[in-house]
Amino acid sequence: MMQTEQPALSIVVPMYNEEESVGPLVDAVRDALNGAPSWELVLVDDGSRDSTVKIAEALAKADPRVVVLQLARNYGQTQAMQAGFDRARGRIVVSMDGDLQNDPRDIPLLVAKLEEGYDLVAGYRMRRQDKVVTRKIPSWVANRIIIWLTGVRIRDNGCSLKAYRRELLDQLHLYSDMHRFLPALAAATANARIAEVSVRHHARRFGVSKYGLSRIAKLLADLLTIKMIATFRENPLAMFGLGALASGVAAMGFLAAWLTSFVQRADPLDVAPMNAYVFPGSALLCIALAVFLTMLGLIAEEALQKVRAEDQIEQLDLRMART
Amino acid sequence: MSDVSVIVTVVERPEPLEALYREYAAVLASCGRSYEFVFVAHPYFHEMLEPLRALERAGEPVRVIESPRSIGETALLRMGLADARGSLVVTLPAYRQVQPQAVCELLAAVDAGADLAVARRWPRIDSSVNRMQALALHLTAGRLANGTLHDVACGVRAARTEVLRDIPLYGDFARFLPLLAIYNGFNVTEVASPQHTSDVKRRIYGAGVYVRRAIDILGLYFLLRFTEKPLRFFGLIGAVLAGTGGIALAVMFVQRIFGQPLGNRPLMLLAVLLATLGVQAIALGLVGEMIVHFNASRRRSYRLREPEAK
Repeated sequence: MMQTEQPALSIVVPMYNEEESVGPLVDAVRDALNGAPSWELVLVDDGSRDSTVKIAEALAKADPRVVVLQLARNYGQTQAMQAGFDRARGRIVVSMDGDLQNDPRDIPLLVAKLEEGYDLVAGYRMRRQDKVVTRKIPSWVANRIIIWLTGVRIRDNGCSLKAYRRELLDQLHLYSDMHRFLPALAAATANARIAEVSVRHHARRFGVSKYGLSRIAKLLADLLTIKMIATFRENPLAMFGLGALASGVAAMGFLAAWLTSFVQRADPLDVAPMNAYVFPGSALLCIALAVFLTMLGLIAEEALQKVRAEDQIEQLDLRMART
Repeated sequence: MSDVSVIVTVVERPEPLEALYREYAAVLASCGRSYEFVFVAHPYFHEMLEPLRALERAGEPVRVIESPRSIGETALLRMGLADARGSLVVTLPAYRQVQPQAVCELLAAVDAGADLAVARRWPRIDSSVNRMQALALHLTAGRLANGTLHDVACGVRAARTEVLRDIPLYGDFARFLPLLAIYNGFNVTEVASPQHTSDVKRRIYGAGVYVRRAIDILGLYFLLRFTEKPLRFFGLIGAVLAGTGGIALAVMFVQRIFGQPLGNRPLMLLAVLLATLGVQAIALGLVGEMIVHFNASRRRSYRLREPEAK
């Protein structure tokens, strides 16, 4: 069944094996938004193996404001969120976890803050109800690193409860595991104005947490990516140029070491045979690296020229939406 | 319009094709399917196609497409798919891997809701050399199926036509079609079927074939696991290389402070080599990430399941 009018507010909830939570979640959203302007709730099933879909579809049949999307397999939370964003029709979109740890009653607070002129409002879990060692500490460390690397002062990147302006989402494209870095990405690529609002947080009522501790290497790779995108997206050649410069300096160092090994001898020609190739060899390797990095930078420039132009047009749209 | 399009790719070790056609046609008729056969052939097998052309002229539901130039199985399969008119497609190699009756079971599995049904040669009566090769394939490419498939190399498959047309096929990945289907969120079922006696003969290929296969599997692994996160792949390699080189360099610099000269230590050359290689790998990964980032607006990595009832 297709709704005709466009809702003012879309709530996007990725779900993976949340059969116990779906019902209470829909009820909670309905209660929280009672009296609010028109809204829709987009439930995105991320290839659940339990009866999440069945329950959600029954709920959708009973209430036309509830929409169910079903991904073809388990793609991950990022892709589920992107699918929901693509389907959401509201001018304001709110994302939220499907496990009832976020409280829908906070949605009006986020929306009110957004309407003060921000593009993204992130929830900040005040009294977080999670395990300390496996969840809170890694999360605290990760947030510190993200702040330090990106300069975006969001204390709680892991909180899914966030509100976005439609025009911002139109120019953010999530892939891989990037939903965790959404505010950083939004600030870096769209110059988004970002605010924080403290929100309630409940302990998990049903099911098990779908996160583990084994993500540190992946997180590091993602952080490096975010840092690179935040700093060098306008000018990738600069990044590789810096690397090439550092490599060139190292080459100079090795050459200098080689030359001093001549000077230090009484007889300048009496050099241990290995000296003849260890230092110059190292210097040559560094020079090769410098050349390689420079060429890579040029290729990157080449590959990105056109997309960056399109990007700027999207940014213009966001600026116009704010006013 | 025929129900099933059978696409036979004639690209390696073909058996007499007319007999193959008659055998499978009889089986398809026995399970009540109307059918058409599309033979897509590599030009190398030009002579073998003559009996098929005779069948085509005699009005049998056979079409023969001969590629004008030397192309691989994937491109042949794509040509066949473009030409298929049935709502279901059966792909067959030009040789017998399983008992022909398997085709009926595969089609039944598709009717029962599978997007793609793949035959598994089981029970297997293979020669030990073939078994070892199959095991090697299973332990490498087979792992990408997350334990749902046991015989990725079996070319006998059935699917809905639009499913096969939806799966991006390029390079040399046709032989891994079921893995690509799983990756794209299609529902893949395996159907066990006794191995055919003519498939048992020991097969040993030239060294080049194994090298190409290994490269294919590496490419597939990268495609299915890291397309969206190249830095995780290159970064890991780079971190190991650069880390080893960096630690070795650090140790040598510390030793230098305590008086051991550096210039006569070939180990330093190795350490610098590792460090530069590592940096190169990471730099390549970063370029990959940048390309993914800027192209994210153009492609969506998820696929929605079509709603069953609207």
